Amino acid sequence: MAVKALYDYDYPSKDRQEVYGDDFLVHVMWANNMMFASPACFRAPRSMSFADFKSQMIDSWAASDPDYDPAAPRDWQVNGEPLSSTDVSLEDSGVGHKGLFAFRT
Amino acid sequence: MAKAKLSMRDRYRLLTRDLDWEPTYVEPEKLYPHTRYEGIKIHDWDKWEDPFRLTVDSYSKYQAEKDKKLYAVIDGFAQGQGHLSLTDARYVNSLKLFLAGVTPLEYAAHRHFGYLARHLDGPGARFASLCQSIDELRHAQTEIHTISQYNKYYGGLHDFGKMHDRVWYLSVPKSFFDDGLSAGPFEFLTAISFSFEYLLTNLLFVPFMSGASFNGDLATMTFGFSAQSDESRHMTLGLEVIKFMLEQDEDNVPIIQDWVDKWFWRGYRVLGLVASMMDYMLPKKIMSWKEAFELYLEQQMLEGLFPDLEFYGIRPPRHVEQAITEKEYMSHQVYWTLYQFAFAANFNATVPEPAEMDWMSQAYPDTFDRYYRPLWERARSLQEQGKRFFFQGLPMLCQICQIPMAFTEPGDPTNIAVRTSQFRGERFNFCSDGCKWIFDREPEKYVQAWLPVHQIYQGNCGGTTIPEVLDWYGIQDGVDNGEYLTSPDKTNWDKWHTPSVVGGGA
Repeated sequence: MAVKALYDYDYPSKDRQEVYGDDFLVHVMWANNMMFASPACFRAPRSMSFADFKSQMIDSWAASDPDYDPAAPRDWQVNGEPLSSTDVSLEDSGVGHKGLFAFRT
Repeated sequence: MAKAKLSMRDRYRLLTRDLDWEPTYVEPEKLYPHTRYEGIKIHDWDKWEDPFRLTVDSYSKYQAEKDKKLYAVIDGFAQGQGHLSLTDARYVNSLKLFLAGVTPLEYAAHRHFGYLARHLDGPGARFASLCQSIDELRHAQTEIHTISQYNKYYGGLHDFGKMHDRVWYLSVPKSFFDDGLSAGPFEFLTAISFSFEYLLTNLLFVPFMSGASFNGDLATMTFGFSAQSDESRHMTLGLEVIKFMLEQDEDNVPIIQDWVDKWFWRGYRVLGLVASMMDYMLPKKIMSWKEAFELYLEQQMLEGLFPDLEFYGIRPPRHVEQAITEKEYMSHQVYWTLYQFAFAANFNATVPEPAEMDWMSQAYPDTFDRYYRPLWERARSLQEQGKRFFFQGLPMLCQICQIPMAFTEPGDPTNIAVRTSQFRGERFNFCSDGCKWIFDREPEKYVQAWLPVHQIYQGNCGGTTIPEVLDWYGIQDGVDNGEYLTSPDKTNWDKWHTPSVVGGGA
C-alpha cells in the first residue's frame, strides 16, 4: 500500500548508504547480557576488517560492563545466520548497511 | 410583547451553523481540497452532532474562569515555597519528561486543530476544531507556566522546546505527532482525537496528574483539574468523530480500521515513557503500569468501547495482544534503557530504592524478581564501586517508534526482538511486529524518519562526541543529565531539607 497524497510522493531515504560515503551503519548485539538494554549502533568503514571492528569498536562498547572479557565473544551471527568467518572485511561479512552482528559469551 | 428567549439549541444554531454558507463561486472541492484524497466519504456534514453546543462567548468565559483559578494557585504555590512540599526531588524528573515530551505536543495539536478549523467541510466540525485548537494552546501555556515554577530550582527544564526537537528520546513523542500532522485530516482525527485522546488518554493524563497529586505537586495537580473538563470534551469528540465517519459510508470502515490499528500501536509505544515514569519516577506510586493498563485499556476499552464499535464493523486494534503480554515487563525495559542512557537526557535516573523494588516484586510477581531485580542490584553494586553503569555508545533504533531496540520477543524478556524489512534495496529495523506492520503499509513515508542516532553519525547534531551533542541538545553536562544521587537536584533537595539551613536558597 502506498502513501495517499495529493501529489507525487517520492522522497529519498534519510539514511541511505550513500549518505555515509565509504562507511556503513552496523549494529551489534550482546545476545545473552541483559545489562545492555539494546544493541549498539556504530559507523564504520566498509573496508574495515571484522577483527579491527571488534577490537576498535565493539570491545570499548562492551566494556561498559566491567565483566566483559574481550576473548569471550563466541557464536557470532550476522543478520541471524552464523558468521562463517571472522577473517573478513565488514563489506564481505554480508552484514550490509544497518545490518546486525550478534554474539554470546 | 417581548420576544421569547431562544432555546439553547436555537441560539447555538444561530451562533454557529447559520453563519455558514454554501459556496457558489467555486466548487466545494476547491474550497475544501483536503477532505477527499484519503478515501473517506462524507455525504452529509450536518449529521455531525455537537455534544457540547459551545459558543464563543460561553467557551471563553468558562476558560477564563478556570485560568483565574489556576493562576491564583500558582501564585500561592510560588509564595508558599510549594516546591519544598514534594515527596522527593526525584519526582521532578517526571515533570521534565512531561514538559519536554508532552507540552510541545499540545502546541502541535493547537496548530493542527487550527488547520482543521479551516479545512473541514462541515461548520459543526470546524467549530469543534476551533475550540479544541484554543484548548490545546491554553494547555501548552498553562503547562509551561505551571512547571516553570520548578525551573528556578531544578535542572533540565529550560529550553524544553529545543530539546523536544533534538534530544534522542524526545524524538519518540515528536515523531509520533509529526506522523499525525503529516497525514490527511481524517487520519489525524483518528490518530489524535480518537486513538490518543479517547482510547489511550487515561493512560497518559491520569498517571501524570495523579502522580502530581500523590507527590505533593499542588501546581501541576491544579493544572490537571483545569484541563480535565477540556480533556473530557476532547474524549467525547474523539468518539463522535469516529462514529460520524463510520456512519457516513460503509467504505470508510476498512480505512478507519487500518488507522485504528496503526495509531493504537504508535500511541502505545509512546506510552512506554509514561509506563516507566509511573513505575520508576514517582517516589510515591499511584498504581503500576500493569494495573493502569488493565483498568484503562483492557477493562474500559477492550471490554467497554470495542464491543460497541463492533456494531460498525470495527474490531479491537491489531497487535493489542502483544501489548497485553508486554504489560508484565514493558515499563522495566524502558526505564532500564533510560537509566543507562541518562547521560544524554534532560533528567536524572537512578536505581530504585529497596522499598520500591519490593513494591515492584508485588506488582510484577512473574517478572520483576526473575529478570529486573538482579539487573538493578548489579547496577547498585557497580555504582557503589564508583562504576555507575552507562551504555558507552549509541543504541540501535526502531525505524518507526524510534525507541532503542529494547523490546523483546513477546513473552520472553531475555530475547531482544528484531524485525526487518527491505525497501528499495535498503534494510530497515523494527522493535516489534506492530512497528514493522506500520512501516510496510507506507514505507515511502517512514524512510524519511529523522533517527537521532543516525543523525549524530551524519554529523548533524553539533558534532560526533557526546559533549558536542549534549551542547547541541542544550543539556548542561553534570547538571541536567545522568545519575540522580550525584546530581545538583539531589544535593539541593538535601540542603533545603536540612533544618539548620536558613533561607533554603541554592
